[in-house]
This record gives sequence, structure tokens and C-alpha cells, in this order.
Amino acid sequence: MDIIESKTWVEWLITIGKFAFCFVPVLYILLLIPMERRGAGFMQDRQGPNRSYIKIPYFGKIRLLGYVQNMCDGTKLFFKEMFAPKGANKFLYYVAPAIPFAIVFLSPCVIPWFGPMVFEWGGKTVRIAGSIVDSDVGVLLLFGLSSLSAYGAVLAGWASKSKYSFLGALRTSSMTISYEVCLGLSMMGILLLAGSFNLTDIVNWQEHHVWGIVAQPVAFFCFLIASIAETGRAPFDVAEGEPELVAGYHTEYGAMQFGLFYMGEYSHICINSFLIATLFLGGYSVPFVTTETMQAHMGGSLAILFGVLAFLALAFLHLIYRYSAKLAKRAQSNKMEILQEYKLYKLIAWVAVVVFVALGACAWLFYNPANFVVNGFAVGSLATAVGTALIHLLVLVVKSVFFCWVWIWVRWTLPRFRYDHVMHLGWKIILNIALINLVVTAVIAKLVGGN
Amino acid sequence: MLALVYFIILAVIAVGAALCVLLSRHPLYGALSLVVSMVSLAGIYGLVGSPFLGVVQIMVYAGAIMMLVTFVIMVLNGAKDKRTPMFDGVSFFIIPAVLVLAAMVGFALLRSTMTFDSATVAGSVKVTSETLFNMASTGPGYFLLFEVIGVLLLSAMVAAIFLAKRHLGSVISENTEDKH
Repeated sequence: MDIIESKTWVEWLITIGKFAFCFVPVLYILLLIPMERRGAGFMQDRQGPNRSYIKIPYFGKIRLLGYVQNMCDGTKLFFKEMFAPKGANKFLYYVAPAIPFAIVFLSPCVIPWFGPMVFEWGGKTVRIAGSIVDSDVGVLLLFGLSSLSAYGAVLAGWASKSKYSFLGALRTSSMTISYEVCLGLSMMGILLLAGSFNLTDIVNWQEHHVWGIVAQPVAFFCFLIASIAETGRAPFDVAEGEPELVAGYHTEYGAMQFGLFYMGEYSHICINSFLIATLFLGGYSVPFVTTETMQAHMGGSLAILFGVLAFLALAFLHLIYRYSAKLAKRAQSNKMEILQEYKLYKLIAWVAVVVFVALGACAWLFYNPANFVVNGFAVGSLATAVGTALIHLLVLVVKSVFFCWVWIWVRWTLPRFRYDHVMHLGWKIILNIALINLVVTAVIAKLVGGN
Repeated sequence: MLALVYFIILAVIAVGAALCVLLSRHPLYGALSLVVSMVSLAGIYGLVGSPFLGVVQIMVYAGAIMMLVTFVIMVLNGAKDKRTPMFDGVSFFIIPAVLVLAAMVGFALLRSTMTFDSATVAGSVKVTSETLFNMASTGPGYFLLFEVIGVLLLSAMVAAIFLAKRHLGSVISENTEDKH
């Protein structure tokens, strides 16, 4: 098998290890659900769910800032009974929730998680792409897969044999289809500028020119609105508008089947925010610094990275200290328990600060690897490549988390649209703006002298 | 070698799903089997070095057109129809036609000198667009056909909207937002 022998073990390790990125959307659910709940609480000037706790002997209760609530919800969903309503089509009823959830695992394969890793190993130059599938169709594959995930909603609505579910399914699929058109067209401008469907090439273009949001501001807003609508969340949640349709296509679902739809929705948010970050916010590229510069000063870059992490830990500490000072003055009955819990957080955060500062100092002082350039690519050691990849990954995650927050922000700020308003917005406004934007971009790109 | 294994898996799924389209009594199951068949066909396209064609197959056929077909089956109550006989008088004409067509295609494929090499990329984005939009006077001129098809689809869409409007008695029935 020459295909196996043609690569060294390090290449195989990284290539196979990249498949772990398939689980990123599922991990994001763990982040997004607390963010949504506490964020909603923050916007409505209340606490949000934070009362569940884990009791640790000889220490006290740990609430993890409300995180335990989500574990409780997950446990509840897992252990509830699964049932199908009478008259439902059993096979399709049980298969339907799996479709969007299976797509969730396939979608991350084209997103570039870090820049191409180029390093020297075993006497030859190795190049590993940042995405799992480094194909020139790139983003089209993502769109093809996400158009398939609408089948889950349609089949669920039909198979549960309920009129509410069915109407919800019809609305979901019509909205997904109509907004996918807007999504594709508004994306075309940046594809035209970069001259490629491959997301790695698009990020590379943005790194060396300007970010997509600067080059294509109109397209950015069209894309943002269309992708919020495509995930079917408020203010576009006409498919599950509670006053009209109970809960839309998953009215009849309970237990983990409902959980799969729920997780599919949150993973869709994750994928879409990664896509926006990649297309319009420079993806993995660090602002104002090219990858070459970063690799030339690897020690300094790592030091800055650890400095940022230490700053975040200090900010967390500041929050904890401020809140515990406030709490100490109050006459709350469970005051001592909470303060006990905060002591633990303070300890962990201080340890983290010390570790980050020490690591940053070590990287600054002792890590200065030599780089050389082969065929226009900076080629360093494996350690440099891995360090760059880590920084890239962290930058991408920060950008995407910001967009996840935009999703929550929009949801709890704007009231719901009526169904015909949503369709009007999609077909008569956003589609036309996206088309005009595409034409203008094409003309300007031709005049300026692109390809 | 590896490509052959993938090809066999995908081909078995594609042919099996296509048989399911024929044999399933329920129209919705038929439509879903067609989706599965099309997705595995897209996999085969990718395998022979045309990933672009494969992705377009998923987006257009499996994603959009089959979604529309599923929609029509559900909305028009076709999904309740379980009693249509699998074979009737028309089958006497259709089955021989299908068999003859299959024999002809098989014969043509066996006689042609096609070589399969999974390493060459035959239908990447670049190759497809260069073939399709080759504007040189010596080129194949597919871009003219492309434009003509675009106009044809537009006229079809306009005609469909016109017919639908006339069918509704040209009453502006959905314009509720003007009153508010």
C-alpha cells in the first residue's frame, strides 16, 4: 500500500488527529447552552438558571456558575422514555432526528481550522492542510450538506402525524430553501475576489489583502441575516412560533429525540458562525500579522498568546473578587456556600495566571527556532508549525464565539417576524441586495484588474 | 485499489436505492430512496475526479429538487396512497424499453475504450469553468447554451407565475400587509 508508506507517521498522526475537529460543533453546544441561558438572563436583568449544584464532601456545593444546570437537563433528556404518538410513521419518526445531527458531524470537514502546516520532518518538507477535506469545492460541500439537513425537519413534521408539526415542517423547509439562496449569493462576492471556493485560499487572500468585512460590508450583513434565518432562531423562528404552532416540527418529540433536534440547532449556529468568521473576519488569521511574521518570531507570538490567556484569567478573577465583595455585605442565607465555592475559583484562576505567565516568559526567553524559506513557504520545525496551528485555532475560536454571541444577542433583542414578512425580507430585499452586490463586485474587480 | 473498494460500496448503495425506488409502495419512501441514490452517485462523481459535479449533484438534485418532490408528495396527499398496483398495463411497454436501454448503454460502455484513473482530476472547479465559459471562437461555445438555458428557465418561471395568478382569478389574495 504505497498510499500509507508515502507519508511519515507524524503526517498520519496529524491527518487522523484532524478528524477530532468533527466534534467541535458538539462541544460548542456545551458552551452555547449556558451562554444562551445566562446571556438571556443578563439581557433581561435576571440571574438565569444557576441553582443546580454538585455536592462535594468536606468542601461544599459547586455550581460552576450555572453550568451544572445544563448537565441536569442533559441527564433528564437522556433518561426520559422515548415514545412515538399513535398513528405516526414509526420508521421515519425515529430516523428524522438523526439526519440533522449526522450532518453536524460532516459539516466541519471543509472549515480550515489553522493555516497549512509546513514543516521539515525526516529530511523532507511536509505540508498539511488546515481543513479535514482540502478540496477545491470547499464551501460548496458545506452548502450541499446543509441543504440535506432540512430533510430532518420535513420528515419529522410529516412522520409525527400532527398538523402543528406538519405546518412547522413546511415553514422550516420553505425558509431554509429560500434563505439558502440568499446565503449562497451574498457569499459569491468574496469568492469572486479570492478566486476560489476553497476556504483556505479565501482566508489566505484575506490575510494578505483585507478582511472580507471591509471588502464586502453589504454582503456581510446579508450573509449574517440569512444565516441567522437559516438556523431558524428568533427573530426568524416562524417554524416554531409558540403562539401559532406549539413547537413546530418537533412538537411530538420528547426525550433525546427532541435533544437531537435541539443539539442540531445549536451546532448549526456553531457551523454558521465559523463560516462567517472564515469568510468575512479573516478566519484563523491573526489581525494585522501575517503567518510568516508570526512564525519568524514564534517565541514572542507564544508569549503574547499566553499573555492574553493570563489577562483573561485575571479578568475572571476581577469578576469573582468584585462579586464576592458584594456578596459578603448581603444577608443572603447561602452566602457562605457561595463564598466557599468562589475560593476554589480564585485558587484555580491564580494558578492559571501563574502558569500562563511562566509559560509566556519561557517562550519569550528560550524559544527562538530558526526558519528558512523554501519555494516561498516558510519552513520551520514541527514545534513551530504546531505552535502556529494552536494560535490560529485559538483566534478562530475567539472570532466564532463572538458570532455565537451575536446569535444570542439578536435572539433576545428583536421581536419575532410574521411569516410573510420573513419571506418578503428574504426574496424581495436580501436577495436583490445580494445580486446587486455581486454585480457591482464583479464589475469593480474586472475594472481594477483581478482575474 | 482503495478507489475500487469505495466504488463498489457506493455503487451497491446507488443501485440498491434505485431498486427501492421501483419496489417501494409508498411514494415518500420512493422519493427518499431516490435521495440516497443521488447522494451515492455524487460520491461516485467525486471518486472519478469530479468533486464539483458531485457537490452540484448534492446541492441541486438531492437538496433542492428532491426536497420539492418530497414537498409535493406530502402536500398533495400522495403520501396516503398505498394501493396503486406495482404493475399495470403500461408496464408492458415500459419494462422492455428500460431493459433495451440498459442493454444498449451496457453495450456502448463495454465497447468504448474508457480508462479509469482516480488520480487525474477531470471535473474540478477550474476545469469545469474553463470548459463551460471558453469564449474563444475556436472553443466549444458552451457559454452560449448556458445563457440560452438561463433565459429558458427565466421564461418558464414567469410562465408558471402567470398561470398560477390566472388560476387564482387574479385576486391579490396574499397582500395582507398593505392593509396594516
